[in-house]
Amino acid sequence: MSVRHDLSLARTDKTRNREKEQRPLELSLIKRLFSYTQPYAFKRNILFFLVLLRGALIPLLALVVSITINGPITDKDLVGILWYAIGFGAFALFLQITLVYRQKFALELGESVVQDLRNLLFRQLMRMPMSYFNKTRLGRIISRMTTDIETLRTGVQNVLFVTIVGLMQMICSGICMAYYNIVLFSVILVMAPLLWIINQYFHKKISATSRELQESFSRVTASLVESVKGIRVTQGFVREDINAGIFRRLVQDHSSYNLKASRNTAIYIPLLELNSQFFIASILMIGGYGTLSPDWDMPVADLISFFFLANLFFNPISQLGLRFTDALSAMAGAERVFRLLDAEPEWTDASDAQTIDSMKGQLEFRNVTFAYEPENPVLHDINFKAEPGQTIALVGHTGCGKTSIINLISKFYLPTSGEILIDGKEIRNIKSASLRSQMGVVLQNNFIFSGTVLDNIRLGKLDATDEEVIDAVRQLNCLDLIGAMTEGIRTKVTEKGGGLSLGQQQLICFARAFLADPRILILDEATSSIDTITEARLQESMSTLLAGRTSIVVAHRLSTIRSADLILVLDDGRIVERGTHTELLSLDGTYSNLYRQFIDSDI
Amino acid sequence: MNATEQNIAVDETSNWELTVRLLKFSWQYKFRCIQVLSYQLLMLFTGLAGLGLTGLGIDFLRYQVVPGTDPPNWPFGLEPPVNIAPLSVIMGIAVTILGFALFRSCLNYFYTMSMGKLIYVDIVATLRALVFEKMQKLSFRFFDANASGTIINRVASDVGALRMFMEGVFIQSFIMILSLVVYLVYMLNIHVLLTLACLATTPLLWIVSVIFSKKTRPLYMENRTLMDNLVMTFVEHIQGINTIKGFYLEKDSIGQFEQASGRVRNQRQRIFNNVTIFAPFVGLLTQINLVILLGYGGYLVVNGELSIGTGIVVFAGLLQQFSGQISNLAGIVDSIQQSLAGARRVFEILDAPIEVIPPENPHLLVEAKGAVRFEHVHFKYHEMNTVLNDVDFSVAPGEVIAIAGATGSGKSALMSLIPRFYDPNEGRILLDGHDLRTLRIEDIRHNIGLVFQESFLFSNTIASNIAFGHPSATRDQIVKAAKIAAAHEFIEEMPEGYDSIISESGVNLSGGQRQRVAIARALLLEPAVLLLDDPTASVDPETEHEILEAIENAIEGRTTFIVAHRLSTLRRADRIIVLDHGRIVEMGKHDELMSQKGTYSQAINIQAIDPASMKLLKATRTKKDGEL
Repeated sequence: MSVRHDLSLARTDKTRNREKEQRPLELSLIKRLFSYTQPYAFKRNILFFLVLLRGALIPLLALVVSITINGPITDKDLVGILWYAIGFGAFALFLQITLVYRQKFALELGESVVQDLRNLLFRQLMRMPMSYFNKTRLGRIISRMTTDIETLRTGVQNVLFVTIVGLMQMICSGICMAYYNIVLFSVILVMAPLLWIINQYFHKKISATSRELQESFSRVTASLVESVKGIRVTQGFVREDINAGIFRRLVQDHSSYNLKASRNTAIYIPLLELNSQFFIASILMIGGYGTLSPDWDMPVADLISFFFLANLFFNPISQLGLRFTDALSAMAGAERVFRLLDAEPEWTDASDAQTIDSMKGQLEFRNVTFAYEPENPVLHDINFKAEPGQTIALVGHTGCGKTSIINLISKFYLPTSGEILIDGKEIRNIKSASLRSQMGVVLQNNFIFSGTVLDNIRLGKLDATDEEVIDAVRQLNCLDLIGAMTEGIRTKVTEKGGGLSLGQQQLICFARAFLADPRILILDEATSSIDTITEARLQESMSTLLAGRTSIVVAHRLSTIRSADLILVLDDGRIVERGTHTELLSLDGTYSNLYRQFIDSDI
Repeated sequence: MNATEQNIAVDETSNWELTVRLLKFSWQYKFRCIQVLSYQLLMLFTGLAGLGLTGLGIDFLRYQVVPGTDPPNWPFGLEPPVNIAPLSVIMGIAVTILGFALFRSCLNYFYTMSMGKLIYVDIVATLRALVFEKMQKLSFRFFDANASGTIINRVASDVGALRMFMEGVFIQSFIMILSLVVYLVYMLNIHVLLTLACLATTPLLWIVSVIFSKKTRPLYMENRTLMDNLVMTFVEHIQGINTIKGFYLEKDSIGQFEQASGRVRNQRQRIFNNVTIFAPFVGLLTQINLVILLGYGGYLVVNGELSIGTGIVVFAGLLQQFSGQISNLAGIVDSIQQSLAGARRVFEILDAPIEVIPPENPHLLVEAKGAVRFEHVHFKYHEMNTVLNDVDFSVAPGEVIAIAGATGSGKSALMSLIPRFYDPNEGRILLDGHDLRTLRIEDIRHNIGLVFQESFLFSNTIASNIAFGHPSATRDQIVKAAKIAAAHEFIEEMPEGYDSIISESGVNLSGGQRQRVAIARALLLEPAVLLLDDPTASVDPETEHEILEAIENAIEGRTTFIVAHRLSTLRRADRIIVLDHGRIVEMGKHDELMSQKGTYSQAINIQAIDPASMKLLKATRTKKDGEL
């Protein structure tokens, strides 16, 4: 059964390169992962001891049962039965206590390692320059922190220790069986590889199906997500029934993969059971032949011992198969996590970089050229100078290089050639921390963190008191706008500013920057228009915000542009015109044309 | 703002009512349910037969080899004739075991398959489609009140919770009860007192599993919240990395993240303390049963009341299965809680009333002329606040109406009443003289073209996006609409033209381009009425003019309602309706309103060009004209 996927509402991208889910076992990766257990060496060593101990003792416990049956029960020795039973109880109690600590230590060790790695990853990410975040898809970064780290947890908590217990258990029960009856044991030994092959065959099949299953489910969710987001369009264009039909087919397609997965388990599980039954039948046959035939004197007791021990020999096989798959995914996860941890930032502050304590706010670009990718430069030979307190407006079409200029001033990137001077010092020689602590950035996308409005404003100055925050809003003359929110300044904001209007979001970002009171302010005006009245209020606040500091504004509003001390008109990465509003209008060049478009008039 | 009315409401239906409803739902598939359960019952018996036969084989061997042993108890008096060689008897038993095993494997295959069909085909697929269908018909109110994430979860994961009810609760409890009864009968049949002695610890196991699951569930839920919180902190810090770096907040962020990370770890520690005790405890109880079996069973063997094979060995096997089933109970208790919570959310959607009810005997209106009339319309989203207050006006076919007003003045509400996305609380809205409530919803909406503030495009080809409202449109029709919307040229320039796929990794359209595709989508239906809800809002001022041309073409010959801030659009309108707090405060042509010096002229003056600049522009223009 197949579905024409081009009928779907949303097309999931098949060409998108998937990240590898597995990777062969690699000693260097294992060693490195192991090195993270070093801080918990004591716990880890005890854990190893417990694991080995349990691997050896579990078969012995089974042996006690069969010895009791074959010994005192067969011999009708009542006192012996009692002692053996008590012995078994004590032994079992001891084993369960070791199990408590075996599990506890393994879980704790895994959790500790995971926490350490999580924190290391986060520190590393905070160290990376902006270029990294612009180049790397958010989903990838998130999966480093979630999926990949989880596979490592499984790797540490389960794979290693379960494997060791399993192997020990197999070896010890194998030795016991071989000791009792070498012939019967060899029969079992022949079946072991068969079981392993069945297991691996089905694991491969099952994981292939589960990948198909995930893909078909991602088609279902992609359609679902778009249907919910586009519900207004759907209802507006009366497409409900058609969409329901498409969705029904997608769901059916998905359920056919589910059935395929069921079919795999429907064959695999019975096959495993059949295998153990087959084994019991063959023990009976061989054992029966051995005990009954006169020339091969085999005790019936062996059969009973085997009945108990063989399970311990077989169970780990399917366990180990499962762990093997886990181990391969842990390898892939480890490789990716370590790659990120080892990534060197493209650039770091020069070792002799200075701090500047009180910045005056003079800013100069000297012959600055810049390229994100070496082959296509986005800024050519940019020269301009802003004196302390001046406002510089950057104007031009989308993609003309405005954003690149502000990226360079914030030292998110370094220029390819030329110099950027702040208070006469080359930006490369100023520590990023000291630079940014005296610089404020308000960007177009108005990023709002979940928390209260108060918390969000306080990001500008972490040690500000509530009063200082409120005072900043008051000075921006917007206390009433914040007060109008459900719980005023303590209104909770959900992710990405949910629950706030665009105007309110912008206001919060203004207040944030105002509270920081930076010497240099970088402002990327939001493009989306807000209704005229709110807009007027925001412009008032903005002029308060800009007053008394050097400001670089990517301007989209007439009033901002008009009041700038210097307007730089950019086109294709070059400054094509510069001057004040009046000067530029008299030129009747690019700026005049842009301005006409802005005011949307035919004058 | 209070948007909780249709929110995830506190549901009063009790768990019991919900369970009954779920059982009724499942009973639709009674044939398959019975099939699944019968397979399970048969499997149980074949399993027991295999175990019993193993014991029999051991007893028979001992009888043959060890002197003084009692003869085995042949089941159903099937004692083999004395003249058959013992070796053949053993072989016979072994072959029968294998036969039973094979039979059981086949049963297991059919069981798993019919279970899969019941769950995935019958229940989950049906429910998903049902919920999706229903969800699409719900009013916008529902979508305003619930985050899109929670709605998506209801279809994606909560339906899965119903699966859990079938698989983890319904079928699983049946299996548990069935197997416990069968095992118990079988064991009692072997030896009553031994059975009771061995099972003495069972109630304890039962109680402990339930207590354990009750105790750890809140811990796990707490952990999920903490983990979600950690991931959210992480995602936000990556998404807001500009702000973090811009304000030099890296150190503080690291501190915040490590705190969240530490909380997760410390809380996990508490879970570990519980979990690591439970499993060994269950193991220990099972082993205590074995101790009793060895002691008391051994005593019985010594007294000749019990055989070793069919007695002790079989008992040991059964005890293991028995405690396995008992510890399933904790899983079932867990699944009940989780699946009921999911089921409640799913039924909430299925039961949600559809707000806009189509008329029973609709008036047919295939091609509207485009006359729209609002008759004293009052409207509110919620009980509390009135959004539209006595709005009354009429529009002749082909008229262009601009709607202006501050945020929250009721512009969008007015627009969304025209396609009958909501019904007014008072008054009525007429299209070509018919009350909207007497027309078929498809007729209304096919006659209305819609362009939203931020137009949502589906990640599909450009052609299928334009043809969204009319999937069987020909390529010519699509191209024609695109041309009117001034979109044809840029679409043709794309490598795959109209077949380019719009998506994250496919073609990325600029804001202006998206809006033009959206306008083409609205025009394809050749609607008599066009609704444009602030179509230039999310577009760069520098590229805004690209859309203006499309709008200019689109409104030609159609009744148009446009929410606008731009001067040129407002000037172009035949009439401007100015809204303030849900009332029409001013209405008329641009020039008329400007001379009234009211709200409108004030707002316009804020964005107007200052006289000095105007003078300069004019000066350069005249200079140029003079040069010509």
